Amino acid sequence: MPLWFVRGLRRGVVTTRYPARPDSSAAALPTPPAFRPQALTRELADRLCLVCPSRALTRSGDVLVFDAGACTACGRCQEAAPEAVTPSGEFELAATDRGHLVKRIPLLGEGDS
Amino acid sequence: MTALRQDAGLPGLLSLLGHDAVADDGPVVTVAVAATDTEAAVRRLAAAPGARLADLFASGGNPAIDGDPVVLRMVWGLDSDRRYLVTESVIEGERYPALSDIVPAAFTEECEIYEQFGIRPAGDKPLNRVALPPQADPGFPRLGRPPAEQPADVHAAHFVGGQAFEFPFGPVRGVGVESLYYGLVTSGEELVDLYLFTWHKHRGVEWRLRGRTPREALFQVERTEGLGAVGVGWAFAAATEAAAGVEPPARAMRTRAIALELERLYNHAAATAALCQSTGLAVGQAAAEIALERLLRLNAAAFGHRYLFGVVDIGGARCGPDAAALRRELPGAYGELRRAADALLGTNSFLDRLEATGILTQEAAQRLGMVGPVARATGLRVDARADHPAAPYAEHPPAVATGQGGDVLARFRVMQAEAAESVRLIGDLLEAGAGPGCADLPEGTISRTGPPGSPDRSGLGWAESSRGEALAWVSLDEGGRIARARLRPASVRNWRGFDDACRSQNVFTDVPIIEASFWLTVAGMSR
Repeated sequence: MPLWFVRGLRRGVVTTRYPARPDSSAAALPTPPAFRPQALTRELADRLCLVCPSRALTRSGDVLVFDAGACTACGRCQEAAPEAVTPSGEFELAATDRGHLVKRIPLLGEGDS
Repeated sequence: MTALRQDAGLPGLLSLLGHDAVADDGPVVTVAVAATDTEAAVRRLAAAPGARLADLFASGGNPAIDGDPVVLRMVWGLDSDRRYLVTESVIEGERYPALSDIVPAAFTEECEIYEQFGIRPAGDKPLNRVALPPQADPGFPRLGRPPAEQPADVHAAHFVGGQAFEFPFGPVRGVGVESLYYGLVTSGEELVDLYLFTWHKHRGVEWRLRGRTPREALFQVERTEGLGAVGVGWAFAAATEAAAGVEPPARAMRTRAIALELERLYNHAAATAALCQSTGLAVGQAAAEIALERLLRLNAAAFGHRYLFGVVDIGGARCGPDAAALRRELPGAYGELRRAADALLGTNSFLDRLEATGILTQEAAQRLGMVGPVARATGLRVDARADHPAAPYAEHPPAVATGQGGDVLARFRVMQAEAAESVRLIGDLLEAGAGPGCADLPEGTISRTGPPGSPDRSGLGWAESSRGEALAWVSLDEGGRIARARLRPASVRNWRGFDDACRSQNVFTDVPIIEASFWLTVAGMSR
């Protein structure tokens, strides 16, 4: 057992310095989507709502409602419409109010609507 | 496994089942067996050396179609013959022969079939609740008709008397641990009996897959058992490819194998950390978790996901590995695990807790149809990569690690040997060339394995996941959507041996050690 104590001391601290310094592996993490309002139409928004497995996306009139608290960063919306959806690179999602996680994205794309 | 006798090979077995010719000489042979002959067929197959029951499941029985019969399918692994034999029997009534009386490995599946399809084995044997929760009323989503009566809640009749008492534990057990209810019968120190409730995590995955395209379904299949995303995903993709008659490119198959070996590595590292935690060795746990974190980060660097979701695709692989990252980082990450394991194997207080703990005998492992490191630690050489070598394992065969004794220490040693072999395989596969690529799924292919006269397009797929052989069977409808998908992760097989291992003269505090050495998932069991 004392040997393990020495091993532990010798190995030292290996935890990252996050949040004081960025985590080196953060860039490889899947992150929630970011939307380009100019590329979003009602039809595309409906399609994105359908592919979202956790119902993080809903459409309310000419607004796409995105609930980052329900998003699992699965990437299906990005796959379905790469021209309108990109990884946000944002994984620090903590909020003091649940409502702050819900974002309303206007549908500014030119479609049939 | 014992080699098949000359007369007990596939032609001999088919002759015993009344089939003279093999319609398809591939790695999977499907034969129809009349319901009246099912019992005799199972007796013959169970007595044939080298044949093991790998799965039992049902399809059909649609409550919306009056009189729609249930089709009972058994998957037999003829390992030394390098084939799977699938038998199909149409069950007209509500009962079929009690197959678990002949092959005990069938019992869990008999319970599942009762829950999902309402048909039960003949006799009055009580059936356990396996996947569906107690609140599952007749309107609860099922694959077939609801059963006439609710299955029982306990796994086996157990005696609580004298000084023994029952200690309920779970389903909420701790931070980050899956929901699982333990019924521990103990006299205070020695474990007298144990039963589990595994249904808390039931999500109806197989039910949800129906009507989806295979690619839509793959998303959920990978999440059936998150720690086995590649193994279960590969089995499902292979089953779909067999049903559709497509063959993935060789480079994509090597990509799948690299991901599968990475999955094995991180799972074995996680099991090592869990073993240290359960034995109270905090520094050893930290050392194994450093290795685990480095392996997970390597997964993300190589494939873009820490748990390797999204690598397998129907017809191939969606992305290729970052070969440079693997070559650069894998030796260091594995070195962390190797150093931790070597130090653990030199720590007597750790080995004392593992040795002779949670013994599963070879006879029990064979009788219960166990797979993976748990079976191999008893000396059984069961490994789908070697026994049923689909590409690329035919060209890159693994050295199958086996142990002796079937205790926790044997399982730990097997896992470490497998981790070393996975690193070697990844190097070989990278050398041979790996990348993304998908074969197109054709429309309107004719079934090669469906029952005679049926328009079904069906196929069996398999992969040797970190927990053992994962199986999937897929039937596609005429539009190419899923009519029925059966997922059988290795956890489904191996939980049935867990209570046997726990009862083998262990004390209360051995249970977490045994659970860590089995390293199963409840999610895979209850699906």
